[in-house]
Amino acid sequence: MSSTKILIVDDELIMRESLAGWLERDGHDIDKASSGEEALEKTRSTRYNILLVDIKMEGISGLEVLKQVKENDADIAVVMITAYGSIQTAIEAIKNGAYDYLLKPFDPNELGMLIHKIIRDQAQARENLFLREEYKERTRFESMIGQSPAMREIFNLIQDVAPVDSTVLITGETGTGKGLAAKAIHTNSPHCEGPFVVVNCGAIPEHLMESELFGHQKGAFTDARETKKGRLELAHGGTIFLDEIGEVSMRMQIDLLRVLEDHVFYRVGGTQPMTVDFRIIAATNRNLEEAIRNGIFREDLYYRLNVVSFEMPTLRKRKEDIPLLAEHFLHRFAQETKKTIHKISRPAMDEIMLYEWPGNVRELENAIERAVVVAKGRNLQPEDLPLFRPITCVPAGASLKDVEKTHIIKVLEDCDWNISKSAKILEIDRTTLYNKIKLYDIKKPH
Amino acid sequence: MISAPAHTIFISPIGNFDSDFIAAVSKEIQRIFGFSISILSFLSGLSFAYDLERDQYNSTTIIQKLGIDAPPEATKVLAITEVDLFIPILTYVYGEAQLGGKACIISTHRLSEGLSLVNAENRFFERVTKEAIHELGHTFTLKHCPDHSCIMHYCRSITDVDHKSDQLCRYCRILLEDEIKRMDSKSDS
Repeated sequence: MSSTKILIVDDELIMRESLAGWLERDGHDIDKASSGEEALEKTRSTRYNILLVDIKMEGISGLEVLKQVKENDADIAVVMITAYGSIQTAIEAIKNGAYDYLLKPFDPNELGMLIHKIIRDQAQARENLFLREEYKERTRFESMIGQSPAMREIFNLIQDVAPVDSTVLITGETGTGKGLAAKAIHTNSPHCEGPFVVVNCGAIPEHLMESELFGHQKGAFTDARETKKGRLELAHGGTIFLDEIGEVSMRMQIDLLRVLEDHVFYRVGGTQPMTVDFRIIAATNRNLEEAIRNGIFREDLYYRLNVVSFEMPTLRKRKEDIPLLAEHFLHRFAQETKKTIHKISRPAMDEIMLYEWPGNVRELENAIERAVVVAKGRNLQPEDLPLFRPITCVPAGASLKDVEKTHIIKVLEDCDWNISKSAKILEIDRTTLYNKIKLYDIKKPH
Repeated sequence: MISAPAHTIFISPIGNFDSDFIAAVSKEIQRIFGFSISILSFLSGLSFAYDLERDQYNSTTIIQKLGIDAPPEATKVLAITEVDLFIPILTYVYGEAQLGGKACIISTHRLSEGLSLVNAENRFFERVTKEAIHELGHTFTLKHCPDHSCIMHYCRSITDVDHKSDQLCRYCRILLEDEIKRMDSKSDS
């Protein structure tokens, strides 16, 4: 699980450096900005969890930074740093959405407790989101679809690896169907009678991860009112699918390594070793070899996981599957929404085929779902796919990347550069949007 | 204990510390890191880091100088002082370390707070060794550990210091072993 990303905004170098050094020891990922302007620039291209902002700065003030940041992304916690004489301004900042304020110099305990509280609150919010997403996923599960050579190769691979008990590592971009491939391996394996347990390592807050995986004994910690089985225990006799394994913390990597080696673990607060039998499948959209080089992924764990591995092809590499997938989603969502829509019109399909689908099958699925909801006629028309309409406005020689960039700028402008709203319309998460803004070097005009 | 005798940790007392006390602290440090220990006072005073307005000493300034002035054979260097330390944004600190760097410092100034008359000497010794190992741990890239009993746990109060053990937890021990292996392979190549 990635660490908390904190941006320190202060025009005094000494304050920035001392605070950064202190927070880095807590394992946080720290970035620094020496002015309000620099802070706003950084927040446009990078998603931070927490901003620590000095109220009094030359140029754009701390209060203005707060205002603009909250307008773009209401989920970022902004803590104002203030000198004794500016308490009134700090109170004003709280009214404008600041999480809290700190009076400098502050007590180390006060800072630690505040950061801890913010992380806990944000984790709680993420967990709620995860539970909602998980529910949605459960209701949407379906088998893999594809006739392209790239997918045929995947089907053959799955048939080959399913009967053996080896650990499998599935790589590939977001939305390529790594989870479906894992499920297909399970269904075709000797463990198919057992459970298929999914652990979304990127979505479970780090402080809940240990208890979620290993379970806990009653009384192991304050909230452990009952003994709870962890997902490893629930996966006994079946398959455990560790999705987004690249996001697991270094601590949890040590524990996972031990489970992979011995198939033995302890519940949190437990003294009895639990022996389990399951197959492990892991997936990631990260380049784990690069993560090893950067010191954020253990090499020994990587080799344990990477016994058999394959990469899921992107939708760009199997364009011939797009009509099949699009029709499949059309029928499913038409049935779910009880609408009579027979097919996708030729012009609409042309637009679908032209698009680059950076979010892969999941993005296509979301686009068709949205189109079905807004469609008025019996066939899906290009205007039902508002996402692609700008394509018709760009010059004929434009590349797909240009189209995507133009569209992102258009949506950002329509939403007054509000990241949360734009991400919602684009049907991607905020982090993906931040990454694209960075990739295409999109800047808000001043 | 992790054995890596090729490296040396230098301990630099600044002020009037009892030599037996420093020797006992050194022994505890050796128990955790397995390195050979050398005791050498190479900073005569800390006036260069004194802040008149706050009547405290800037720990960042001190560890920067420590890192520069340390003997070349020192793998890590720990200074122990009696003066009250601060970093500009915080009111005080028990110690400071260069994360993954060479130098660290601890202050005993606030470590005698709340000591009861019974067993005070032992308790004070425990606090000093725990803080010394904690700060040295940072120089070996260890970050704060969520395990309350681990010596790398960040203590919000002196009571927390008393409650945590004088040992690294399993995770931090493995991460320390990894770092020492990395240092060994770097010095071999």
